[in-house]
Amino acid sequence: MRPPVVRPRTGPVANPSQPDRAISDAGGTETLPGRIVRREGEPAVDDASVNEAYDGLGHTHALFWDAFERASVDGAGSPLEATVHYGDAYDNAFWDGSRMVFGDGDGQVFAGFTTSLSVIGHELTHGVTQYTANLVYSGQSGALNESVSDVFGALVEQHSRGHDVTEASWLIGEGIFTDEVEGTALRSLKAPGTAYDDDVLGKDPQPAHMDDFVETDDDNGGVHINSGIPNRAFYLAATSIGGNAWERAGRIWYETLTGEIKATTDFGGFADATIAVAVRLYGSESPETAAVRTAWGEVGVLS
Amino acid sequence: MKVTVTRSGGFAGITRSWHVFVEREPDEESWVVLLRKLPWDEVTREPSQPDRYLYRINCEPRARTDRPDSRDAPERILPEPREAVIPEQRLTGPWRELVDRVRERDEEKRELRPAAAPDDNT
Repeated sequence: MRPPVVRPRTGPVANPSQPDRAISDAGGTETLPGRIVRREGEPAVDDASVNEAYDGLGHTHALFWDAFERASVDGAGSPLEATVHYGDAYDNAFWDGSRMVFGDGDGQVFAGFTTSLSVIGHELTHGVTQYTANLVYSGQSGALNESVSDVFGALVEQHSRGHDVTEASWLIGEGIFTDEVEGTALRSLKAPGTAYDDDVLGKDPQPAHMDDFVETDDDNGGVHINSGIPNRAFYLAATSIGGNAWERAGRIWYETLTGEIKATTDFGGFADATIAVAVRLYGSESPETAAVRTAWGEVGVLS
Repeated sequence: MKVTVTRSGGFAGITRSWHVFVEREPDEESWVVLLRKLPWDEVTREPSQPDRYLYRINCEPRARTDRPDSRDAPERILPEPREAVIPEQRLTGPWRELVDRVRERDEEKRELRPAAAPDDNT
């Protein structure tokens, strides 16, 4: 991971409650950052990907500021930067250590990545994690890194739509598949392993319980696979607590991520840390603490 | 020589794999030239950037049936199986060329195969 880079702010905004966004266009190349096409405060342009990225960054900033009083990814109001139209039919979105990067998809499986707010929230949360717990991107700590990106990606979407735990889709990447794919989204926090089941792509491989933990060398030890287990723990805790998920369950996860956990923590260490935070915030006999403890038990991380 | 490229990770976490049998390619010689350029000893393990792909490149020599003397070039370059794991941000030069070429060639062949035919794993 790169060390924090101090850059001049790109726009006139000097208020941490407001985002400072800049969207660049790679023009189908793999050269970053590309040409800046929309800065903070500038009107919409004639390119849906640019505007979706701009709006998505704003919604992500809004969740972290409104719910957790966090100013941008570094907590100090750093610019939020994204590049769209990366690569040729590039089927992916990623965080390169300082910006979010979006491909256009190949049009056969993926129709593009900026259309889903949970994807944008997911990528920016990788930035938040990098500046806080810095969870090592391999094995269980890597699956936790992925899981917190899914959790806050889902919360960005819920917060922007005003959805409580019963109204939320609990899906990541809803709408990014083309119509040819049999699937509603990439991942489900509510029911890991059920997001898609397609002739070409196969079936969503995520486990929902430690009994089904996948041992693999691929994907840095299955970081996008085993994240299903902590994802479901968050879903269970949030729905048990009720209301808006970003208010209490989200607060517990946020303070865990930005607290004292080790970069190499495993599922059990992370689970213990969420319980400790819940006890500190709400008390040891609180429904919140009970919900968190029960959730980790239900997915087999704690007995 | 069977060259297999496995791409895992990415935001979607969907693993895909492509392969080529070098000796069955019409331009076997140009594949051999590319295989010679692969800097196996320069590969160092580095963590992936979040949501980027992880590439596993495997080269497996095969017993030859078409030329039983087995003095064909791919096996002379790589007499033993070799594997490299390379994060996307480090996939450059000959590695990138090989990955793109295996994928492109395999996808071409898949388009020619009837949809219901079993995968060519021989």
